[in-house]
Amino acid sequence: MDITLKIRRFDPENDTEPHWEAYGVTVLPTDRVLDALHKVKWEVDGSLTFRRSCAHGVCGSDAMRINGRNRLACKTLIKDVNPDKPITVEAIKGLPLQKDLVVDMEPFFDAYRDVMPFLITRGNEPTRERLQSSKDRERFDDTTKCILCAACTTSCPVYWVDGQYFGPAAIVNAHRFIFDSRDEGAQQRLEILNEREGVWRCRTTFNCTEACPRGIEITKAIQEVKRALLTRAV
Amino acid sequence: MGEHERHVYDVVVIGAGGAGLRAAIEARQRGMRTAVICKSLFGKAHTVMAEGGIAAAMANVNSHDDWQVHFRDTMRGGKFLNSWRMAQLHAQEAPQRVWELEAWGALFDRTPDGRISQRNFGGHEYPRLAHVGDRTGLELIRTLQQRIVALQQEDFRQHGDYEARLRVFAECTITELLKDGPRVAGAFGYWRESGRFVVFEAPAVILATGGIGKSYKVTSNSWEYTGDGHALALLAGGSLVNMEFVQFHPTGMVWPPSVKGILVTESVRGDGGVLRNSEGKRFMFDYVPDVFRAKYAETEEEADRWYADPDSNRRPPELLPRDEVARAINSEVKEGRGSPHGGVLLDVSSRLPADVIRRKLPSMYHQFKELADVDITAEPMEVGPTCHYVMGGVEVDPDTEGAVGVPGLFAAGEVAGGMHGSNRLGGNSLSDLLVFGRRAGLAAAAWVESLAGDSPAVAADDVTAAERTALAPFRDGTADNPYAVHQELQQTMNDLVGIIRRAGEMEEALDRLERLRKRAAEVAVEGHRQFNPGWHLALDLRNMLLVSECVARAALQREESRGGHTREDFPKASAQWRRWNLVCRLDATGQVSVDRKPLASMPPELLGLFERKELASYLAEDELAGLPEQPTGGGPR
Repeated sequence: MDITLKIRRFDPENDTEPHWEAYGVTVLPTDRVLDALHKVKWEVDGSLTFRRSCAHGVCGSDAMRINGRNRLACKTLIKDVNPDKPITVEAIKGLPLQKDLVVDMEPFFDAYRDVMPFLITRGNEPTRERLQSSKDRERFDDTTKCILCAACTTSCPVYWVDGQYFGPAAIVNAHRFIFDSRDEGAQQRLEILNEREGVWRCRTTFNCTEACPRGIEITKAIQEVKRALLTRAV
Repeated sequence: MGEHERHVYDVVVIGAGGAGLRAAIEARQRGMRTAVICKSLFGKAHTVMAEGGIAAAMANVNSHDDWQVHFRDTMRGGKFLNSWRMAQLHAQEAPQRVWELEAWGALFDRTPDGRISQRNFGGHEYPRLAHVGDRTGLELIRTLQQRIVALQQEDFRQHGDYEARLRVFAECTITELLKDGPRVAGAFGYWRESGRFVVFEAPAVILATGGIGKSYKVTSNSWEYTGDGHALALLAGGSLVNMEFVQFHPTGMVWPPSVKGILVTESVRGDGGVLRNSEGKRFMFDYVPDVFRAKYAETEEEADRWYADPDSNRRPPELLPRDEVARAINSEVKEGRGSPHGGVLLDVSSRLPADVIRRKLPSMYHQFKELADVDITAEPMEVGPTCHYVMGGVEVDPDTEGAVGVPGLFAAGEVAGGMHGSNRLGGNSLSDLLVFGRRAGLAAAAWVESLAGDSPAVAADDVTAAERTALAPFRDGTADNPYAVHQELQQTMNDLVGIIRRAGEMEEALDRLERLRKRAAEVAVEGHRQFNPGWHLALDLRNMLLVSECVARAALQREESRGGHTREDFPKASAQWRRWNLVCRLDATGQVSVDRKPLASMPPELLGLFERKELASYLAEDELAGLPEQPTGGGPR
């Protein structure tokens, strides 16, 4: 089938503002948006720039706004995004645009690093594994699925207007440790998230949960962190 | 050359997958100022795609397991062509590396008593793979990434600078290694974003760049897998070993076309999935080779009993090593018993309840649901072989991972050769990354300390030459576009040096590679250096073509079939060929040469782990004659 991709292009060497360009390509309905972008790059315009790596939704490199919604290009089939009309593709919002579909991810990773995303324990390292019951392990299973693609954070209207806000992904990664039975740093992390730019900024719009390509219940995780802050119990 | 951005480190690690990050952590913990350089964003490495697990004989699920059994399985899987020393170190140290990962916070599925759970996998005698559902690689990378963030925050507290001793240079590509005489002196590369050049000065460089799969059309590998480290080592005077052995994973997706090659984890079979042909027959029972016959079930009934009672039944033939299963699928399709889109059927829907499938194989469930509109809890998957892993790689010292012939250069993970022989067992890759990543970091630190300040220096002329090479594709003219050359390379390797090989086809491949090399040297790219994907690919082509030539030349020379190298014209394994490794180097004129090198012989205490009857199926008669009648040493329990 023939489709039209409308891609928001930006070349920092020549453009002052991004602009939309349309490309016609022939694809199968079961092809993915990533395949269509590759076709443009390989056959029409070799300078089209976007990130991609594993190409099946595990590495989280190719989050972009497709028809106005944050998705991974490698997991979005053409037939599912109304190909009768032009399909719009643009970079995710809220992070500095570098070129075409590539944004500067540093502010996103800064927020990730701020929540101390590593196991905090006291005492000596064990010689074998620590024990953890399946029930304790289930407690934070959902938030370990995060692939740091930024689809959630850059779909959040609070994040768009306030770059200081940690954003959903950082809170998800804090949740992953706060509710890990092996971790002893929960109070420290809760203190960080209790600050002005922390969880209380969340307005519960569920954009993040809808955007997550891994199906993580992000809004629920944020609520659990809020509740832990109120009760000081995890 | 003064104008280039410059960085001085003790240890530079190229690649930020499992091996690279583990090596960097070790070097930093040994007090080295360490840089990690990666082509992608930090944390997006190919390792994240590993699904099944980390093989380590912790004996949490079956108490009979120990390192000797793991060693034996690994040697069998590699058809006795492995570096026995690497296989030994790997089996001995893997449990320690998994426990260490757990101590750093990794999530694992647990046994009922709370220990790390282990699952069955092809070629492993006992349940051995530590895992998190089917996203083990992702968790491994995330844990190492978290460890690095933790170390950086520790450095901030001590030095006021997060990057005082460990810095990640993301989206940066290395195009040349720099040397001072025989020794490594650093590396030259460019920032992908700006196209600006950058020079790293370091007395120790660790290659951890992964594999070569992007030279093949149907592959489970991601775009980074262009054989960079393999080529950098060759160009720096190092050698590659076992390059003829390429692993085709038996189960990649075959439909729809856009996802052809994407991996379907072996865990599907480990957890009970079976392979059937178009006639509904479990065909793997017809493909059990003699060397494995004693260990595998002969009837479906026995195979099915094994899942619940592995001690008194033999395992299902679907769990043979990958090379055997891939060849079997290939034969079934060729003989007209394939599935509608040219694969076979992998069925778990009739084997496990839907909720168990969704819990144990969530990524597979979603992958098929979203990409192929197939509900794997209700219908079978269509699968076929896909280029997955290269056993060949940089020839290294087994204990230190030091590259043979290039002091100061190290290699770990998929880019290193030897550990897996002619075929890698599933699960042995993640453990390989951790065991040898750590060892490479350790040895690089020791090397830097041994220099005691006598550091090699980067020569200005070498930097100028590297810059000239990197800029060459910005030439005028109407020459080829790099994407066209790449596609033709992938088609050539897929068709002519693929899963089944013939002398005539490989000679044809070498002719085509020669022509492609000429075309690649003339490729012209448009635009500026800033984030220019066409330019990046033009530079990657050199690496892919060099490595592809090594694969084709070694494959043409090895006149036998073994593991990931199947010759239609020489269908049997030869005990004489088992004694030889094929080693690729560049000669003085820049041409690939292939030489035979004898394999190191295994010490008696390790030979003693095998029955003489089994050894007879691998070793030549004069080798057997030299063995004591009853080998001594610690036999299996």
